[in-house]
Amino acid sequence: MSAEADALARIVRRAGRTLPKLADPSAPLLQVTDLSVRFTLAQGHLTAVDGVSFRLDDGEALGIAGESGCGKTTTALSLLQLLPSNGRIRSGRVELYGIDLAQKSEAALARYRWREISIVFQGAMNALNPVIRVRDQIAEPIVIRLGVSEESARRRALELLDLVGIPTQRGGAYPHELSGGMRQRAMIAMALACNPAIVIGDEPTTALDVMVQAQILALLESLRWELGLSLILITHDLSVIAETCDKVLIMYAGRVAEEGPVSRVFTAPRHPYTQALLRAFPNIRADRRTLDVIPGNLPDLRDPPPGCRFAPRCTFAMDVCRVVTPPEVTMADGVRVACHLYPTPDAAVVEAPPIAQVGADAPDDDVDLSADNSNLRDADDDTPADEVQP
Amino acid sequence: MTGEVAAQVFTRRARGERWRIRARQLRGILRQFARQRSGVLGVLIIALFTICALVPDLLVGPFESVTRASGEKFDSPSPTHILGTDELGRDVLNLVVHGARISMAIGLMATIITVAIGAVIGIVAGFNGGRLDTILMRITDFFLILPTFVLALVLAPVLRELLGEGSEFFGIRVTLLVIIVVIGITSWASTARIIRSQTLSIRERAYIDRARAIGASSGHIMRRHILPNVLSLIVANTVLVFAGSVLTETTLSFVGLGDQLAPSWGQILAFAQSSGAPGIGAWWYTASPGIAIVLVVLSFTLVGHALDSILNPKLAGRR
Repeated sequence: MSAEADALARIVRRAGRTLPKLADPSAPLLQVTDLSVRFTLAQGHLTAVDGVSFRLDDGEALGIAGESGCGKTTTALSLLQLLPSNGRIRSGRVELYGIDLAQKSEAALARYRWREISIVFQGAMNALNPVIRVRDQIAEPIVIRLGVSEESARRRALELLDLVGIPTQRGGAYPHELSGGMRQRAMIAMALACNPAIVIGDEPTTALDVMVQAQILALLESLRWELGLSLILITHDLSVIAETCDKVLIMYAGRVAEEGPVSRVFTAPRHPYTQALLRAFPNIRADRRTLDVIPGNLPDLRDPPPGCRFAPRCTFAMDVCRVVTPPEVTMADGVRVACHLYPTPDAAVVEAPPIAQVGADAPDDDVDLSADNSNLRDADDDTPADEVQP
Repeated sequence: MTGEVAAQVFTRRARGERWRIRARQLRGILRQFARQRSGVLGVLIIALFTICALVPDLLVGPFESVTRASGEKFDSPSPTHILGTDELGRDVLNLVVHGARISMAIGLMATIITVAIGAVIGIVAGFNGGRLDTILMRITDFFLILPTFVLALVLAPVLRELLGEGSEFFGIRVTLLVIIVVIGITSWASTARIIRSQTLSIRERAYIDRARAIGASSGHIMRRHILPNVLSLIVANTVLVFAGSVLTETTLSFVGLGDQLAPSWGQILAFAQSSGAPGIGAWWYTASPGIAIVLVVLSFTLVGHALDSILNPKLAGRR
């Protein structure tokens, strides 16, 4: 699609919405640039998100993945500055329709909370007040944000319940009277209450059984098409991203490791961390029993190591990795990767040999593999891999 | 038009449904309460004294004063004076029944003051935290250690001077007002502490974060999310504070800080003591108000514990 047609489609999709006054119709829906979030602790500072950039277009679904503590949820919460009181956006821009939210005061942000960006929290039981009826909780943001009467908000809440597949008669129930899946549906209904442009799903399917998980994901998918939503899905579960998302952002220790279309990143992972993550995931077609684990732990973010943060755990780590922070390079196929193995947009994919050799399945055929590992490690900074051809 | 009518019918039906659900829940709580035998006993005793407080004239006739005394001095219990008479020849039963109104009214109003201040300070301090919490809790600590009697001794003349001897506020005489204010001021602090600690736990729940994400104001969160969650605690606390208030009122009246013209139970005890009733063996004079006080305090405590075990999820394990 050409840039013009793309912009046109965006305007058409936004036509039905009342945009904020300052909105630029030609700007991308959400553009996060060089976002850094710092927590103040008793023992100093912790930079949980360090220079993260990404873009979300209208109707797109972006998955954010990475292990626990690598800044996924912090990134999402900082979009609306919902961080705990000791967390603050230190630098960077969060532009929604070209309006920078990072600069907004608490009062000015209220306009955007829930009306433009809403969140489906993890653990619906905890995110619902046990002593308030589900219907009234869904009506709450409608009353607060849109300023309509309680009566009509409640009527809209019942419509929303219907939309997410909860019988409207159940609206009068208290959260503990609903099943886990129903509660999660109610959370989704609440997220949709003010007709937002972006819904952030913070591990929306964690702690649900697989059947319900599938139902919830199918619901999100159908709502996305029906309502023209854009999704940000935070999850540990790479299969969820593979199934529902267009783009994926792999984070490690507060930084972007790799970002790109799901089809590219999952079939030809470039960053050693992405490769390791995917190898740590069971493959339904392979017959191997054990999974490769990534040895080691996340670095201490209060005092992060210089250079690439994954270097201490990386099988490809070179000397340069421990000194110089790898720049983010956008490859020819649109994948952005921050790794010294890929200094230029046309660098070939380097795949590590599997750690545990228990019947490893053959990797996808379009990937150039079996790189000489020792050769790479010794290679110079400027010519990291001998496969790199101009 | 028909759509409008249908909508009205629908909302009316919805409202009916809501009431039916509410009634069903109330029935559930009542059924659980009925299973608590001590709580039921407490309710019965409270009901009895409430009737005394509401319609004393119907039960024992108008309040007897010096000029309207109906018997001899210190008559022992007899069919005409079931609980005997006092040093002026007044019927003690008459005094005790009329005293119920004053004791219960003071208890009720002091409880309202206590719980209102305690709940508001507890929720505001617990929810906001930080410096505000520190300031409010230091103030609470100050009131927590304030001795009731000394405060009453100091406040009584001050209030009387300020408001004018014998003046009335909403039908409450100044001397009674002093007692109510003193009880209110000295007992809200512990309520505030209890409510604050529960609020501290509730404000960390995910649904409070969710409410913030929606963009709800602090006032809204405290009213709509915290208050309903601490309500059970407030209710159970109210009942216990009531018992304490009745007891404090008795003590204050007994040491002479009450209203001489309003025969609360404490005041009757004070009269009995100053007339030398214990010395001459007029046990009915001291025992009657004493037993009334013990019964009321006991029954409120019983109800309080019964409510606590129903409304407090941690104690509801038996269900």
